[in-house]
Amino acid sequence: MSQALSVEADPREDFGKNASRRLRRAGRIPGIVYGGGGPAIPITVDPKSVSAVLHSESGHNAIFSLEIKGKAPARVMLRDWQVDPVHGELLHVDMVRVTLGARMKVKVPIQITGEAKGVKVQGGIFEFLLREVELECLPDDIPDQITVDVTELLIGRNLRVADLPVGDKVKVLTDPNRVVAHVVALKAEEEKPAAEVVEAATAEPEVIRKGKAEEGEAEGGEAEGKPEEKKEKKEKKE
Amino acid sequence: MLMPSKVKYRKQQRGRRRGKAWRGSDLAFGDYGLKVLVPGWITDRQIEASRVAIMRFIKRGGKLWIRVFPDKPVTKKPAETRMGKGKGAPEFWVAVVKPGRVLFEMEGVTEAEAREAMRLASHKLPIATQFVARSAAA
Repeated sequence: MSQALSVEADPREDFGKNASRRLRRAGRIPGIVYGGGGPAIPITVDPKSVSAVLHSESGHNAIFSLEIKGKAPARVMLRDWQVDPVHGELLHVDMVRVTLGARMKVKVPIQITGEAKGVKVQGGIFEFLLREVELECLPDDIPDQITVDVTELLIGRNLRVADLPVGDKVKVLTDPNRVVAHVVALKAEEEKPAAEVVEAATAEPEVIRKGKAEEGEAEGGEAEGKPEEKKEKKEKKE
Repeated sequence: MLMPSKVKYRKQQRGRRRGKAWRGSDLAFGDYGLKVLVPGWITDRQIEASRVAIMRFIKRGGKLWIRVFPDKPVTKKPAETRMGKGKGAPEFWVAVVKPGRVLFEMEGVTEAEAREAMRLASHKLPIATQFVARSAAA
C-alpha cells in the first residue's frame, strides 16, 4: 500500500452549480471530506492529483494525506467520484477520513492471471463476471487487488467468491456463492433467412390494456374495442 | 430485429434528447466498448447491422453485449397522403441515445480485434462514436 501520496486542497466557500462550473473552468474541481468523527469540509482540489491517486497501485482504495490550507493534514481515501460520461474528466470527489483502528468496508478489484484450459484446450469463452469484491478490514490491511490463477478452469466450471485467496485479516462481505468467472462453450450463431427477418420486423407488439378494455377484449376482441370507445366519445360531445 | 414484446401504447411523441447519458455510460460487462458522442436515434435495423458486422468479423470467439434496446416506436404516413387524418402507422423502432452511452461491449478478443470490429459497427450507425477500453475508462 502506497502512503507517499498527498493531495493539496483549499477550503471551498462558494456552493452550487454556478460556482462549481466556475471552479471547473479554472482547472479545479469541487469535493468534500467527511467521516472519522470530524465535520464535513467542502474543498477544491486539482483533478490531476486525484487522478494520480486513482491510477496508483492501490487505485481507489489508496490511503493518502490530504493537506487542506490552514488545517492539519488528514489521512483520507476516496469514497466516491463523478466523471463526465463523454470526456471522462473528473467532476467531483468525496473523501472519507480514515480511522486507523476502525474496520472499514472497501471494494477490491480481482485480478485474473493465466489462460484457462477451457479456452486454450477446449475452445470455450472466458467470462469475467464479478470484477470487484467487497471486504471488511482494517485500513492498513486493504489489499491492492486479489490475484487469482484461472489456468485450471475448464468449460462448465465456475470460480466463486469462496475460492478467492484472501488473507485471514480480511472478511469477505460478498456472497461466497457468487460466480467470479467461468468458461462457457461457444454457441453457433444461426443466420435466419431474409424472409423471416422481414416478417418479424413488420409484426407489431401486443398492446397492454387495462380495466374495462380487457373485458371488452374478452368478449369481442381488440378490433371491436376501438369503435366502441369512439362512439362513447361522440356521445359525450353531444 | 429487436423490438418490445408488449407495449402500453402503440405510438409515441418524438421527445427531446437533451443532456448526457449519466446512466449506461460505463463499461459494465466487457473490456472494450463503443461509446456514442452525440445524441440521436438508433433504429432496430442499425443495431442489427452493427451486430452482424461485429459477429462476422470476430467469427468464433469473443462475446458481445448490446447495451441499448429500441423501445420507441416511430410512425410514418404513407407516401402521397394528404396531411391530417391522424398519426401514421408504427413503422420501426428506435433506441434514444445521449452522448456518453455505451452501445456495445466485447470480451474475449484482443484490443486490435475489438477496435476493428467496433470500427466496422460504427459505419452502420448514423452518429459519431468512439472506441473505449476498460483501462482507459477507469
